Amino acid sequence: MYAEQIHEYLNNFFKETNCDILEDEGFLLSVQLTVDMDKRIMNRPFYWQYIEATNSEPNPARLNLITDRSKMQTPFMGEMIHFGSGRLHQIFKTTKELGSFVKMYHSIDQNLENPMLIPFLCVNYKVSYLSDQTKEVLYSLGINLINGQIEDHFHEFVSQQNLQSTMPKNVYCLDFIIKPARGIERLDSMIQQIIQNDDHSWAEEAKARWEKELEVLNYFYDGVEEKPESYEVEKKALEERFNPRIKVEIINGGLFYLK
Amino acid sequence: MIIERFSNWREGFTERLEHDGPWDSWTLYKMSYETEKMNLIPDFSGLQAPKLLTNIQLLPHQVEAAQTVIEKMNGKAILADEVGLGKTIEAGLIMKEYMIRGIVKKVLILVPASLQNQWVTELNVRFFIPAIAYRKNTPIEHYDVMVMSMDTAKKSPHREKIYEQNYDMIIIDEAHKLKNHKTQIYEFVQSLKKKFCLLLTATPIQNDVFEIFYLVSLLKPGHLGNYETFQASFSATKNSIDGEKYLKELVNQVMVRNRRQDTGIEWKTRKVHTIPVRFTEEERRVYDMIGELKTVSSIFSSSFTMVTLLKEMCSSKEATYLTLNKMMQKGISNEEKEYIDMIMDKLANLEVNSKAEKVLEIVKNADDKVIIFTEYRATQAFLQWYLHSQGISSVLFNGKFSKSKRDWVRQLFRERDQVLIATESGGEGINLQFCHHVINYDLPWNPMKLEQRIGRVHRLGQEEDVHIYNLAIENTIEQKILDLLESKIDVFEKVVGDLDDILARKA
Repeated sequence: MYAEQIHEYLNNFFKETNCDILEDEGFLLSVQLTVDMDKRIMNRPFYWQYIEATNSEPNPARLNLITDRSKMQTPFMGEMIHFGSGRLHQIFKTTKELGSFVKMYHSIDQNLENPMLIPFLCVNYKVSYLSDQTKEVLYSLGINLINGQIEDHFHEFVSQQNLQSTMPKNVYCLDFIIKPARGIERLDSMIQQIIQNDDHSWAEEAKARWEKELEVLNYFYDGVEEKPESYEVEKKALEERFNPRIKVEIINGGLFYLK
Repeated sequence: MIIERFSNWREGFTERLEHDGPWDSWTLYKMSYETEKMNLIPDFSGLQAPKLLTNIQLLPHQVEAAQTVIEKMNGKAILADEVGLGKTIEAGLIMKEYMIRGIVKKVLILVPASLQNQWVTELNVRFFIPAIAYRKNTPIEHYDVMVMSMDTAKKSPHREKIYEQNYDMIIIDEAHKLKNHKTQIYEFVQSLKKKFCLLLTATPIQNDVFEIFYLVSLLKPGHLGNYETFQASFSATKNSIDGEKYLKELVNQVMVRNRRQDTGIEWKTRKVHTIPVRFTEEERRVYDMIGELKTVSSIFSSSFTMVTLLKEMCSSKEATYLTLNKMMQKGISNEEKEYIDMIMDKLANLEVNSKAEKVLEIVKNADDKVIIFTEYRATQAFLQWYLHSQGISSVLFNGKFSKSKRDWVRQLFRERDQVLIATESGGEGINLQFCHHVINYDLPWNPMKLEQRIGRVHRLGQEEDVHIYNLAIENTIEQKILDLLESKIDVFEKVVGDLDDILARKA
């Protein structure tokens, strides 16, 4: 993420979370946080505990964020924000918390006759393959809640569309035939199927590495009648290091009424 | 294979469906997906960390080392770069990569007490890793990344507290401190679970080939066989090896070692001079008298005491005097007392210290900043007095100094005094790139100590050639030390790899 991207990201984030942007120079951003946002990104629970216990006037922080130091001409007291800084990751996390569930409608040209919208359910999955190495893949699956058809890259599609969060006027939204709860199940089993059909030589390779290191370990204690505790400890460590496993995480998802 | 499912998204979504809300912002929803996409780890191989580390200029050999450790050594390795090439940075990079990939969360870093704060700062500032320095009563269960001194860690109740934690990664700096398998720290680390593990040392062999055996066995038991098979193959005599090629290959499977010259950076050369010094007749007489001590009494027959005294005599009369004086306090016979008295008398009458005169000559010729290393505190004090009497100002340094005192001394040396006189323990943890001359006033038995000393000066950031002066008095024990150092360097080069010059090369 480059400096300009970060700047834009922060700008969008604070606008979207109703924090006042007091100054925006393109490389620095001065923001007045709301109480809620202070609690989420400033890491000062004791302050808020105190304010609430004593019923004092809350004083949420004002942040001076510098996104590109190279463009600074006058000295300015502020916090450097860059990809990798703790604050930015806190903001990423908050974005995730505040952007988990949506319900969106296609915007409709009012001149259309009998416009009708079809319900879809979308779930964005992150699949991680883990051993002593990692790989991650994103899947955005969408299911048509009328006919049950499932499509990949659903997010790429909807993010290109003109959507709104309120139902357009004079529009008829079809009721779903497949219940959303059932839809989630279908998508979950789809993701399972995708994983099963994937190439798992990585897991075989991890097991082979594990096997090899175990042989070395056993050789060290070869002929030792009563193996010391350190043997078991090492063995356990090998298992934790190499044992291949798969993790499925949901990033976010929602209900979409589309043309 | 087991598929773990994480997330309570399903419950949250169902709840919102029931109440038709509250629904989240479409913008934040899209931003969240984009963030995930950007932070995705698309491949098992390659490094993700470098692009996040904006506060650090990584050198190619450091990135390569990290990649080798992660991809070829599966996260367990000895980082054995020569002093000053950035082992700490390599370790930080590896740790960061595993943390980003979600494989490592809890890390324990064991270091000499003097380096504790340096590690904490480096990790926080350069790697954005929230590391904490362990002090008494720090609740270790609350912190993921802990930097602890080795001496503290090995003792109760700290060791028990550590055993209770489930660390994903163990990093040990100055790991040559673990070369002796009979020590408490070795035993402690041996019983510690080491899922991912990095041992950092520029000097994996200091004296003999068994040190590398114990070090590797700590990291990966069995990699060099067990003790019996190893001994059978390699121990004909301790300091010379037959299967050296085979051993070197095995060692290189678990060890990354960058040398200055393979870093692609232009290094200033080090010019090593052996400076022979000749005793005056008076000095020689006292030296020989000390040599005769063992015939005078059995209490001097212990070779350790004898060697100490002889080495001290090669250093300064002050150092010798202190040890002799200590002996006088012990219950010894009148005859023995008389002989020692005689030596002490002769010592007191010595007016010239030939070695110190040589030092003066070198310092004057250098006409520049000079570091002098000695093994003895008494010699250190003497040298300061002597140089002062010749109009040369100096400042003292030793390893027991606190962080702030170190910085202060460094400052004084940089801005005020021409000479810094350090004792052995001052070898670690102070960087003096602005100095170009190192005098080894007396020689340690261990060549790697010399390397550590030189490394204070000959490291990244040095802009001029570095001159090393090894002083040795002719026809004394120092001559033997020189020979032994040479044979130890030979073992190191055969098993670990080439070394930069420590001693002057023989023609």
